[in-house]
Amino acid sequence: MFLLKKTHHSQSALANYCRTGILEDIPGIKSENIGHYRRLVFNIVNDMLQSAFPLSHKLLKNRKWQSLTHEFFSTHACQSPQVWYMPKEFYQYLEQRRPEILTDYPVLLELLWFEWLEIEMFMMEDREIDYSNSGNVDCDVLVLNPELHFQHFEYPVHLKEAVKITAADKGAYFLCVHRVPESGEVIFTDLSAGFVRLLELLSDSPQTLPDLMTRLCTELQIDQTTEIKNRCLDFIQTAIESRLIIGFNKN
Amino acid sequence: MVGIGFRKDFAEEMLQSNIIQPAFIEVAPENWIGVGGFWKKQFRQALEQYPLYTHGLSLSVGSPDQLDFQFLKKIKDFLSQTNARLYSEHLSYAKCDNAHLYDLLPIPFTYDAVRHVAEKIRTVQEVLERKISIEIVSYYSPVAPEMTEIEFINSILSEVNCDLLLDVNNVYVNAFNHQYDSKNFIASLPMDRVSYIHMAGHHQVSESLVIDTHGEAIIDPVFDLFDFTMRRLKRDVPVLLERDFNIPVLEELHQEMTRLNEIKLDALKPMPYVPA
Repeated sequence: MFLLKKTHHSQSALANYCRTGILEDIPGIKSENIGHYRRLVFNIVNDMLQSAFPLSHKLLKNRKWQSLTHEFFSTHACQSPQVWYMPKEFYQYLEQRRPEILTDYPVLLELLWFEWLEIEMFMMEDREIDYSNSGNVDCDVLVLNPELHFQHFEYPVHLKEAVKITAADKGAYFLCVHRVPESGEVIFTDLSAGFVRLLELLSDSPQTLPDLMTRLCTELQIDQTTEIKNRCLDFIQTAIESRLIIGFNKN
Repeated sequence: MVGIGFRKDFAEEMLQSNIIQPAFIEVAPENWIGVGGFWKKQFRQALEQYPLYTHGLSLSVGSPDQLDFQFLKKIKDFLSQTNARLYSEHLSYAKCDNAHLYDLLPIPFTYDAVRHVAEKIRTVQEVLERKISIEIVSYYSPVAPEMTEIEFINSILSEVNCDLLLDVNNVYVNAFNHQYDSKNFIASLPMDRVSYIHMAGHHQVSESLVIDTHGEAIIDPVFDLFDFTMRRLKRDVPVLLERDFNIPVLEELHQEMTRLNEIKLDALKPMPYVPA
């Protein structure tokens, strides 16, 4: 309201210089010092992105990485006031803009998302839920960890070093990511499509293992054999140990 | 009282040992809003042990852009949930033309900027329903100035009833970079408005330039300036040791905090009565 256009213009010019490196004529500046602003601003952005995406940085190597981060910061207007959230904007920017580098590195977008998922799961707000630690896995109602995310990848970025992933690896990879409530540790679990579906059914509503197996087998139109029952039981027991299944319904 | 910036780098060690025993901790709300899991547990533990002071990074009261009211509401909730004793922000801008820059850029020292910034501080105080403290930032170049730095700061303090966060290291850095007398500068500030002091280290990058890094120990001339400040102030205010990078062992931070406390106590001790 009170700000004159000329003052606004000077502020915009400095901010734009920090983002793009293009320095307009700004009255009164010390030209020998002004470059430090661009260096300091870009260091913050690059440090944050590099520490969020160490695997992607390693895949691209420094020169391409720097070029990409410069392009991002000069083109994209960062919206989040929280700098730790900015890496997600970097991912979204690449997803929307689809720069040429994604053709050279088809695995890059999924790798970035894989790395961001770990941060987001580690940092996200707590999701409180009522549950009991004690119960009988054969008959009590199972409760899924609410701090959970299901993910599908075309490339095995969660299983293999990115540089070794080739076109031959392209396929359907299912996994879930959850946070251990006690330690805050984030765990990625590689899953078959069947077990993903089983967990999805459990995420729809807490239920017993027998009910879950009946629903799953009906949906997949397969017989509930002893082998299937045993495999499901093993899976559920492992999921309880890893806190993917957090416990049992209190009622 | 002397506090410390609560950093994730040493949070666990600080909470599990008695190496440093700050009178309070300070955090940037931006780094903790919407955070759960491990860090929320650590933060809760810290809040059980220490009073909280807060120091914002992204509100950008010096920006030509409008205030982000959605974000301001989040800050308000955060201050309430954490029972924060004080909220401070920088006299700078970190967002421009709808893009965050995540660093502190210098506001042009102009008459219109004084009114613009004062109005924004007033609005922030109305929304937060509390007085805030505004920090004099370090800067490496003036931008389109119509007045001096001290005139700019004092004009804003005349326009709006906010408090002043006096970062003594920033004054030292600015005095060095722009060749003025740091003590004269401090003597020209309205000391009754100072509610909070920051102390930190810096890095000299050339013969004529010092960068405010928070990554080094405080140097003796800055301790001396702190002593001068406390003697001018003549009253106790919370003092914060900031260390954001290149973090040393906690024993070193403890030594710095002890020295700050000693300087403060010495500066504020009553003068002995001398009969006429």
